[in-house]
Amino acid sequence: MKISDLQSLESFTCLQEEYEDIEIVSGYTSDLLSDVMANADEGSVLVTIQAHKNTIAVSSLAGVAAIIICSNRPVPDDMLAAASSEGIAVFQTAENQFNTSALIAQHIGGCPAR
Amino acid sequence: MLYRADFHIHSCLSPCASLEMSPKSIVTKAKQAGLNAIALSDHNCTFNLPAFSRVCAQLEMECLFGMEVTTIEEAHVLCLFDELDRAMEMGKSVYDSLPDVSGRSAGFGDQPIIDENEEILGFAEKFLIAASTFSVSALLGQVHALGGLCIPAHIDRQVYGIIAQLGFLPDEAFDAVELAAGGDPVLAKQYPVVRNSDSHQLESIGSAFTQLEVSELSVDQIRESLRRQVS
Repeated sequence: MKISDLQSLESFTCLQEEYEDIEIVSGYTSDLLSDVMANADEGSVLVTIQAHKNTIAVSSLAGVAAIIICSNRPVPDDMLAAASSEGIAVFQTAENQFNTSALIAQHIGGCPAR
Repeated sequence: MLYRADFHIHSCLSPCASLEMSPKSIVTKAKQAGLNAIALSDHNCTFNLPAFSRVCAQLEMECLFGMEVTTIEEAHVLCLFDELDRAMEMGKSVYDSLPDVSGRSAGFGDQPIIDENEEILGFAEKFLIAASTFSVSALLGQVHALGGLCIPAHIDRQVYGIIAQLGFLPDEAFDAVELAAGGDPVLAKQYPVVRNSDSHQLESIGSAFTQLEVSELSVDQIRESLRRQVS
């Protein structure tokens, strides 16, 4: 599944479209940014409710390629501006983290063992 | 003496703060805003406190020496000291506990360390937005052991506020809790309330402040005065 394929999923709205359309091989679900920084994979999709600019900084350090903001948390403009300059895709969904993770895992053929 | 105090101001060292936030500009702006006591409270780092201390002495501004620590729970907690060396000691413990991740690659600010004349002395290497290894309780213990004040920051905020992170305000020996300008005092439960600007730009310095009636700006006197607020 490519990042652009997320855009065709009904429940997702793309808020930041300036990204490199790479193949997503894994995902990480966490609302603790220190955990994301330490454990998210390069080229992964991050599922979180942490809708603020620091999520972009941490994602950039970890190499996260796309972020899904759950539960329709409002996404501030400065977060999107930072995501745009880092080339990280940002999506928003009304679904919670569990359902979002399950949906993405289905599309990428399950979660690779760590 | 009646103090009009803003104890939560970031300098350019904090990667999310404006580069114009030099100690000199901060103190000058604080005077214009009618404040007579301020603290510099950068994220997880005290490297700009020595310059801040010298500028405050030069421009006759009373001050505390602070830091805004990100705990392991990712709650922001303000630590305030009336002695520079104590603040620097606490700052070293917190900075040393940050993960070994360079701040340069995060796409954020450069984290410059500057002197009282706004000359760049160097840069903080570690990413200052990261979380320290201090839990809220452990931080409180160490700050009190070093004679400082320990105050959970902007508890009314969703982002890095202690209530949003933990789900509740824990029963601890906090000296006060901080609310943003419009924050509901009901959230503070049994704790005294302080209000600060959490300035990252010059123009917001003094936009929120705390009035303190103390004979001198010491940790002991401030703690006393805060306790009177709730007794």
